[in-house]
Amino acid sequence: MGDWGLPQLMRNLAQVKAASAQFTERKTVHMLSAPLVTSGMLNYIAPDRMQKITVSPKPERFVLDGDQVTIAGGPDKQVHTFSLADYPQIGGLVEGIRATLAGDLAALDRFYVVQLSGDPSNWQLLLQPKDTDLTRFVKWIRIAGSRNRIVDVETEDTDGDHSDMSIVEDAGDAR
Amino acid sequence: MPARRLALGVWLLAVVICVGIVARTHLRTDMTAFLPRSASAAQQVLTEQVSNGAASHLILLGIEGAPPQILVAVSKSMAARLRPDAAFVDVSNGDDASFAGVRDFVWRNRYVLSAGTTADRFTVTGLHAALANDLELLGSDVGMLIKQALPSDPTGELLTLLNQLAAAKGPRSRDGAWLSADGSRALLLVHTRAPGFDIDAQQHALMLIGDAFDGARAAIPGAKAAQLHETGPGVFAVRTRDTTKRDATRLSLLATAAAAGLLAFAYRSPRVLLLGLLPVASGALAAVAAVSLGFGFVHGITLGFGVTLIGESVDYAIYLFTQTARGDPAEVTLARIWPTLRLGALTSIVGFSAMLFSGFVGFAQLGLFSIVGLIVAAAVTRFALPHLMPPGFFAAGAGILARPLLAVINRRRRLRPLVALVVMVGAVALALHRGGFWDKDLSHLSPIPAVDQTIDRTLRHDLGVPDLRYFAVFRTADEQQALEESESLAATLQTLVVQRRLGGFDVPSQILPSDGTQRARRSALPDADTLRARFDQARADLPFRPGTFDPFFRDVAAAKVAPLLTRASLPPALALQLDSMLVHHGDGWDVIAPLRDVTDPAGVAAAITAAQLPGVAFVDLDRESDRLLHTFQNEATLLASIGSLAILVLLFVGLKSPARVVAVATPLAASVIVTAALLTMDNGALSIFMVVGFLLIVAVGSNYCLFFERRDHDAVTQSRSVASIVLANLCTVSAYGLMSLSSIPVLHDIGITVAIGTFLTLLFAAVVTTRDVAVQTAADRIGLRMHSPREERDRLPLP
Repeated sequence: MGDWGLPQLMRNLAQVKAASAQFTERKTVHMLSAPLVTSGMLNYIAPDRMQKITVSPKPERFVLDGDQVTIAGGPDKQVHTFSLADYPQIGGLVEGIRATLAGDLAALDRFYVVQLSGDPSNWQLLLQPKDTDLTRFVKWIRIAGSRNRIVDVETEDTDGDHSDMSIVEDAGDAR
Repeated sequence: MPARRLALGVWLLAVVICVGIVARTHLRTDMTAFLPRSASAAQQVLTEQVSNGAASHLILLGIEGAPPQILVAVSKSMAARLRPDAAFVDVSNGDDASFAGVRDFVWRNRYVLSAGTTADRFTVTGLHAALANDLELLGSDVGMLIKQALPSDPTGELLTLLNQLAAAKGPRSRDGAWLSADGSRALLLVHTRAPGFDIDAQQHALMLIGDAFDGARAAIPGAKAAQLHETGPGVFAVRTRDTTKRDATRLSLLATAAAAGLLAFAYRSPRVLLLGLLPVASGALAAVAAVSLGFGFVHGITLGFGVTLIGESVDYAIYLFTQTARGDPAEVTLARIWPTLRLGALTSIVGFSAMLFSGFVGFAQLGLFSIVGLIVAAAVTRFALPHLMPPGFFAAGAGILARPLLAVINRRRRLRPLVALVVMVGAVALALHRGGFWDKDLSHLSPIPAVDQTIDRTLRHDLGVPDLRYFAVFRTADEQQALEESESLAATLQTLVVQRRLGGFDVPSQILPSDGTQRARRSALPDADTLRARFDQARADLPFRPGTFDPFFRDVAAAKVAPLLTRASLPPALALQLDSMLVHHGDGWDVIAPLRDVTDPAGVAAAITAAQLPGVAFVDLDRESDRLLHTFQNEATLLASIGSLAILVLLFVGLKSPARVVAVATPLAASVIVTAALLTMDNGALSIFMVVGFLLIVAVGSNYCLFFERRDHDAVTQSRSVASIVLANLCTVSAYGLMSLSSIPVLHDIGITVAIGTFLTLLFAAVVTTRDVAVQTAADRIGLRMHSPREERDRLPLP
């Protein structure tokens, strides 16, 4: 393993210029007696464009482009555009995932206390928010991966709600 | 000397009475006095909005010249420094505290505020639909956003309301403070407690803002280079007052110095110099008293501007002092020149009296001011001044000043074709002028410099404070009726929004629904037991856990018995917004609903008419102000024409000869033509103020022409008369010429018009009007009595 560590992992991740994957997300919400399961596709283009297209149970599109978020096709059938900074509860979360994808350690450090465990083929990043705005909503985020692929994103909200998104990357992506 | 005692006694008594009246005078500065009496309700409402409305409390701030994170820090530090001060109702910079008040109010009162509170919404079907929607939202990407509010607000009223209250949105924020899109400027929005027209309070607010900025800049490392820009109605009011004060002080000091220098050179007597001010000072005092008695108040503009109009009364004293020959008592001079002086003063009075009939109260005040001012100034010159003149006074230096003009006069026959040519060129230039004579851009009349107007536009754009142009307005007898009708208006406007003819709108009922609507919404809420029963039924097939929505039941029960909202319930930011849309005005309530992003003005106007809402009018502010300006211009032209006609009639009555009237009127007409041609060179346009300038050219210049037209009994007397005109004109040209250096349009426009026009009148009258009496090139012989051999027909016998 030698000098494998956070900087090395981040460098590896930074080399990924584009990726696409299938996801299945399972949310446990304290208000609900049954978990909510959604699935769809993820797209990423370095360094800051992310797309989450939910297919089931209802189609919805979430696009992050730089600082700008666009949500389309939600229950109200309208397009909402807003700045990440306006909604810290979404902003911090999205920023954590984006920064991991981009291998942007500086951005991660800005929002989170970062802890790495495991080895290159099976690593886990534990992100604990620093920002008080974000600690009101998110307890921690755990991103698991193998080499330069992310396979799972787990989120624990302050109110005990939990979300687990497992990711299966499409083969043949430009690396 | 009983005559002397009587004259001075009457004068002193009159001064005392006038001072008494003036001391009680109510001074007004709002612009409504300069609206036509026949102005539409819409125009009046909008004008009042500009000076008194809620928008006038706004100060927009921009901080630039540092990296974004420094700008944000300065913005936060400034907001923290300003918020505790009682001078500010609200300080917003995009942080949480900026919205806390409004958000909290909307949250607590969501059921009476939301149009979604209907009986249908709270049936089993309605609640089921809401819960199904919530479930979908929880699974979606905005789930995080609504999760916290959901147990209290399953029907989603908060989202509906926040979308509806456009004012709660600001520009983009970064790290909790508003920044312009390019990140170069931090933005703050300040509501002062004092309205924009309270200039002292606004100045104090600006000082506090400046202090807060300096404090923040000193406290934050790296903020040294940051700059602050302020804009807003109050800021403009303060700046305009400062500029006016500075210009007026500086220029009037210079003008006084120039005139005093000239007069000191001519008179060589400080006492006479001061006496020369007596007519104009007495006239102004009496004029203020008369306007106060006649109108019940004096407008600030009347006060400042009126003195300009009666400025020619300074000339009265000049004529008297300068035309007094060495060794003659003043009474002798007066007896000789009084008929001319009287006719000259009457000409001006008749010219200005046309303004009395103006539909604009402000113009009418100016008319009365100038009439009374000139009558009193002439009377003081006639009856008081001679008694105060030092015996044996003689304007020793005046003769030299007259020399150049005497040279012109002696060559007048040769110069006449030149004058004719100049006037013809001027007339042709005017005839060929393209694009209209009138300046149609209202902003050119504004005393606000273009650079400040640009900053204003930029900050407004950055902050998303729309520069509103379109409004729906109406008036009702009471507040509740106004709110009810604005609810009907909102329904009509909403259909226009759906049709995309309108981007959005604000109506007062969005902030404060009518009592009727509030009651209806309260009664649409079921009682606690019914609600629980229906709710349990509605969520039967949905995975929500029991007990989740207890906060909702609590809030609905509380809303059902909460007291009705009134204006007093509103947080300051919303109260201000309400006040800008719902104005208590005399015996009624005016509703002014701003319409945003109107894409189809004609369609919106037609739809509003078609909806047959009682008394609701669609107002296009740009068109209204164009129309207002147009009315102003038409009326000014009409009044100037009537005034000129009246002057001609008066001259005819006074001079009793068409030939003499022509001799007096020709130079006046010629100089107005040439001045207008000069002012509109390069396809320039005339401002409304220049028309006033034309009237002043005629008023002041007619005196010159009348004196030139006099047939004096000898060359020396005539030379002396020429000297007095030259002295009067030099004073006028220097005073108005200095005024033209001002950056304030009204001062500049009148200054340049009068300076050019009166000087041309002097030249033209010297060449055209001077009568063929025995003029000699003997300026240096002034002071010697030399009788011309010709008998003087129109000379008045000495008393």
